[in-house]
Amino acid sequence: MPPETISVENLSKTYQVPEREGGFGAAVRSFFKRKYKDVKAVQQVNFKIARGEIVGFLGPNGAGKTTTLKMLSGLLHPTGGKAEVLGFTPWELKTDYLRSMTLVMGQRNRLSWDIPAADSFLLNQAIYRLPDEEYKLTYKELDDLLELEPLMKKPVRNLSLGERMKCEIAAGLLHRPKVLFLDEPTIGLDITGQARIREFLREYNKRTGATILLTSHYMADVTALCERIIIIHHGKLKYDGGIGDLSRKIAPFKLIGVRLAEVNSHDLTKYGTPVQNEEDWEKQYIQVQAEDVTRVTSRLLADLPIHDITITDPPIEDVIEQAFNQ
Amino acid sequence: MLKIFQRFWQVNWAEQWQYRANLIMYLLYWLVSPIIYLAVWTSIANTKGNVNGFTANDFITYYMTLLIVDQITSNIVIHTFAYKIQDGTLSGELIRPVHPMLTNALVNNIAFKGLTIMGLTPIWIILFFLFRPDFSNITLSGILLAIPAMMMGFFIGFLLSAAITALAFWTTRVYSIHEFYYALILLFSGQFVPLTLMPKLIQDIAQYLPFQLLIYYPIQLILGKLSSAQIVQGYVMGVIWLFVSIAIFNWVWHNGVKRFSAVGA
Repeated sequence: MPPETISVENLSKTYQVPEREGGFGAAVRSFFKRKYKDVKAVQQVNFKIARGEIVGFLGPNGAGKTTTLKMLSGLLHPTGGKAEVLGFTPWELKTDYLRSMTLVMGQRNRLSWDIPAADSFLLNQAIYRLPDEEYKLTYKELDDLLELEPLMKKPVRNLSLGERMKCEIAAGLLHRPKVLFLDEPTIGLDITGQARIREFLREYNKRTGATILLTSHYMADVTALCERIIIIHHGKLKYDGGIGDLSRKIAPFKLIGVRLAEVNSHDLTKYGTPVQNEEDWEKQYIQVQAEDVTRVTSRLLADLPIHDITITDPPIEDVIEQAFNQ
Repeated sequence: MLKIFQRFWQVNWAEQWQYRANLIMYLLYWLVSPIIYLAVWTSIANTKGNVNGFTANDFITYYMTLLIVDQITSNIVIHTFAYKIQDGTLSGELIRPVHPMLTNALVNNIAFKGLTIMGLTPIWIILFFLFRPDFSNITLSGILLAIPAMMMGFFIGFLLSAAITALAFWTTRVYSIHEFYYALILLFSGQFVPLTLMPKLIQDIAQYLPFQLLIYYPIQLILGKLSSAQIVQGYVMGVIWLFVSIAIFNWVWHNGVKRFSAVGA
């Protein structure tokens, strides 16, 4: 067995996507001869992850995070390159491999919608051939960390988003996998829910020494949990290293959005760099250094007729563009 | 392994109960055509005395037995599985260390049967009192011979349907392919009309096809209408088709999963 738990070499995945122009003529032509476009989802990605590491896999939507995770869990065949996890080639889907890893992806995966989670848990016990004693012990541990017991008896469809995610994650961990692939484990959860899942993952990693690779497009998720970050953008590896180096590389910006009495009535250039936001035309946005936020905000409030003001982190797309595309 | 099936059974049984109203509708839909055939042929036989030697009672016993045999040997795998391939929800099942089709889907079909048979029983009893069939020709040995034949028929039918379902890995039109397959069943299985009343050519072809193993052959076994040679021939055909269906299913499944993982699960 190699020293690394996960090793990825020149991993690539190109999808062939059928494409045609609109209109009747194009529809008829495509019936006889389909045109395909190559979409390079993942290009020549290399990394190694040691046992027990928690690595954050960061990138905007469509960057190739999920595709990479699907290849590592065995759901997808790559179009090029190699990957080895726990000494297995994932896409051979060997039973021994499937027993020692887990992929948590989305809300509707391991739990049957119509029946209480408890039944799905017992099914998983049988599928992974877990002896009763071992199963009870693991369940108790997961219950301690996630407070599952009150959720177990309700049909899964009646659980809230956060409750369901807790049950999904727990169901994926009953067999004590050595490797965890988590795709957006906190998506759709409120702040407390997110914090709880993070806390749990940290604790689980400490207790079991499992290797965790998780994707997110929330910066906060990853900074709270991972010491090491891998950033992928347009299918290419952009960064692989410590979180500390990354924060030095990424200038800490904040976005201030203001809604004025009249839309676009004032020029905000003197307060910070104006930023376009297509979706929210009522507000004007400026980007400022994080340490200047308080100062700029109070100036804005003093100077201008402000109806509403928001302070947010810039979208991760922008952060990555700024950090790596200069 | 037994425990896996047992737990799958618990889950699927509970799930089927959730949809019991749906199930009753499905069952009623299913019952319409055999009951119509039963009524039509019986009234024709009553007015003409017999149809090619088939008396009214022959028709009644044939279709009353068909109702049970069809329940046991048929499956609904196309309806419970193809959509999982199409919308990608199969992904979760593919990375579990058990075969999605040969555990979950199989047990799901059997659980479905369990419930539909409970629904069928009262209807069957009502039909019994309406049509008063004379089942005096039935022997215990006929029934005992029919049980393994029905199990074989179920597995052949399940594997063939599963293979067609797995075509969903390639095409979204899998339902129309299955409709065509169902038309073959209607024609060659004896579902529409007892095979002996079919043209000679169809009877000759049907002998070598798997479809009569699902319906006609078990019915004839139960009704005690087969010679020893015919019984043996049926079992031999059954074993051959069982192996053929296993091979077909394995091939389609294996290549389908490969394709699934190539184009994006």
